[in-house]
Amino acid sequence: MIFANGKLLPDSERKKVLTGLEKAINATRMGPPLESETVIAAVDALGRRLAGGEFDALLARYLPAGATLAELLPMLRRETLEQKLRTELGGAPFAAQTHGRTAARVLPLGTLLHVAAGNMPGLPVYSALEGLLTGNVNLVKLPHGDKGLSLAAFSLLVEQEPRLAPYLCAFDLPSKEVVDIKLLASLADGIVTWGGDSAIQSLRAMAPAGCKLMEWGHRLGFAYVAGYEDVEGELSALARHIIGTNQRLCSSCQVIFLDSDNREEALSFCRIFLPYLEKAAEERPGPWAGAGASLSGHTALLERIVEGRTEGEVHFPGRGCSVTFRPHGELELSPMEGNVLVKLLPRRDLMGALRRQKGRLQTAGLLCAPEDREELTGLLARAGLTRITRAGSMSDTFPGEGHDGEYPLRRYVRIVDVEG
Amino acid sequence: MLSRQRLFWKGKPYDLPRSDEAFLRACRDNAAYHIRHCPGYAAICRHLNFSPDQLRTMEDLAKIPVIPTLFFKRKALFSMPQWRMAMKVTSSGTSGKFSQIGFDWGSILAEAPMVVRLGLYHRLASPVPAHCVILGYKPNKANHTGVTRTMFGLTHFSPPLSRTYALNMVDGAYVPDLDSIAKALKRLESSRFPTRVIGFPSYLWFGLQRMEELGLKVSLPKGSRIILAGGWKQHYAQEVDKGTLYALVEKVLGIPRENINELFGAVEHPVFYNVCQKHHFHIPIYGRVIIRDPDTLDPLPMGQVGLINLISPLMTATPTLSVMTDDLGYLTPGADCGCGIQSPYLTILGRVGMTDIQTCAAGAAELLGGDEGFGIEGGKTQ
Repeated sequence: MIFANGKLLPDSERKKVLTGLEKAINATRMGPPLESETVIAAVDALGRRLAGGEFDALLARYLPAGATLAELLPMLRRETLEQKLRTELGGAPFAAQTHGRTAARVLPLGTLLHVAAGNMPGLPVYSALEGLLTGNVNLVKLPHGDKGLSLAAFSLLVEQEPRLAPYLCAFDLPSKEVVDIKLLASLADGIVTWGGDSAIQSLRAMAPAGCKLMEWGHRLGFAYVAGYEDVEGELSALARHIIGTNQRLCSSCQVIFLDSDNREEALSFCRIFLPYLEKAAEERPGPWAGAGASLSGHTALLERIVEGRTEGEVHFPGRGCSVTFRPHGELELSPMEGNVLVKLLPRRDLMGALRRQKGRLQTAGLLCAPEDREELTGLLARAGLTRITRAGSMSDTFPGEGHDGEYPLRRYVRIVDVEG
Repeated sequence: MLSRQRLFWKGKPYDLPRSDEAFLRACRDNAAYHIRHCPGYAAICRHLNFSPDQLRTMEDLAKIPVIPTLFFKRKALFSMPQWRMAMKVTSSGTSGKFSQIGFDWGSILAEAPMVVRLGLYHRLASPVPAHCVILGYKPNKANHTGVTRTMFGLTHFSPPLSRTYALNMVDGAYVPDLDSIAKALKRLESSRFPTRVIGFPSYLWFGLQRMEELGLKVSLPKGSRIILAGGWKQHYAQEVDKGTLYALVEKVLGIPRENINELFGAVEHPVFYNVCQKHHFHIPIYGRVIIRDPDTLDPLPMGQVGLINLISPLMTATPTLSVMTDDLGYLTPGADCGCGIQSPYLTILGRVGMTDIQTCAAGAAELLGGDEGFGIEGGKTQ
């Protein structure tokens, strides 16, 4: 399906829509920019209608398993959106600042192409919303497997506020349609990419020179254990986080690093932590929910065996989860689904090990004694981490938080200096 | 590998006890062969402390290292050089993830009597020529999927007079065309020869619904059959129960339910499973099924739900002796079916919802460059 001019169209209309797109975008941009208030009012009103139960049938169809309306609603509130704008762009986000003879005006970057990954339902909508808040025209390439959630959201938004129609265009475009993606890229002033290395590299190759690239690449989260305030509470929270996110998010814990160089200590940690993980796994909703974890863990083990990389490793299989000790201290992707890695990384080696993964760093869940927290937080921040949280809140969202160390809205606008 | 041929050329395809000894022997030989010729498989067996001489009773089959189909999607393992293989077949998979499985000439020699014997047993084979309508992919040089090969193969159970495909290659991509299928069926109604509709159940369902919408009803000639293979694939959400589908078949095409065959198999386990008269998948002598605990992968007793582990000593080009699908299911004693076949039957409940979810953590989500065209998940030709 295609979403253009506020209407849902069949894929067969794609060529037609694409042919007229440049002209349509130019016509839109000839007029005054979209005001953030228009977007905020529309989203807020839609949020209220959602809360009122008006779209319950639609939600039941599109809301992914595990996601709840209660999590979604706060993000759609006027206050949240206004605060986001203020945090990221300053108190008066779009006010011109005069500097003697000139004034610096804040304008949208222009046209953004969003290429969203499929790992988080609703991500295309979120990405487009950031583009709308900053007044941009948004072209969205929907991820494979977007089962209609994004298109339904765009339709509702434009139905709520028809003035948004010319600023939103979405295509259910398979990634192999290179010609069409290149055409979309050629119309964009900036490309927002969410995805893995290969996705980002493919888009880099398609972007015309001079097009601004905004890449939200994949990250690897980890926990750093240097002590405890409350052993049981913190290990339970960490286990619940690992099972709850299935280790699928950028902020999910893949590796638990121990501030130690003692192998026996690491093995003992594995034995202690496994029951916590098993308890969290037991609470997974639905029957046979551990199957994914077992398959994924077993497959990863076989892969390591075939690659001859099991030297020094110790695998602790649990019920619907597993803990594996690996003898080297590198940050890496776990088998996911509740199969966590444990490694030794004494704090003296922390900088070196983390710098080797500098493009991958984002969230660290820090478990330590209260007196160590400030020092370790500082060390992790200097090593390149952009979110340092408690054990269980690695994937929580916080008001005013940056994204991979940046405020995205700042990248979606440009400064125009005007001499009076 | 004579023990394999002995098993596959055996008579009485559902007499499991009579075949146990031959099966065990063939498994032992097959494991030994892969250990000798595939260093990766040998490493797995060493690591998991398995050696073929441990296979003494049928219960010992659970000791064979079980390799998830997910593994074959990430890594290709072969036990012979490619030039010695008859062919290489891929499972159909989304996001460019598919298994690559080699077929040796011996496996093809062994498959032949299995397919003929079961084809006769289940009244698939007929000397009366028939028109074939395939609700699946038209074979193409660029398409190596097992399901395409299977469906093409199925057109040979009776001398094929014509083949009409629902999915044809247009500008390098498969495009479904159910309307022309509906027209073809209308035309075949007045043929002197029966029609065989072969294909994915999802396409049959969508096609029949479309025909009903258009007010099209045909009465296909006597002896016409429906042969379903390939499962519901990405249309899982729309899956309908068999009764509803069969009733619609009878209403729109005029084919009675006893003329509906369903097949199940996997590229990694190409044993030819057929439904009986009561529409159950009984296990034929060429394979064995173990249901494993989803949490621990330990074998479960009859009747309990778990992950489906398929065992067959058919293949020597790829070590697929014991593979685990990402499907959940359970076994029921054959006697409970009532069709007369004594071997247990397998009920498939559905897929573990893990592998088709793209992940955010590094490297897992391959957004571009993957085959997203007509991606169908998994290696099954259920």
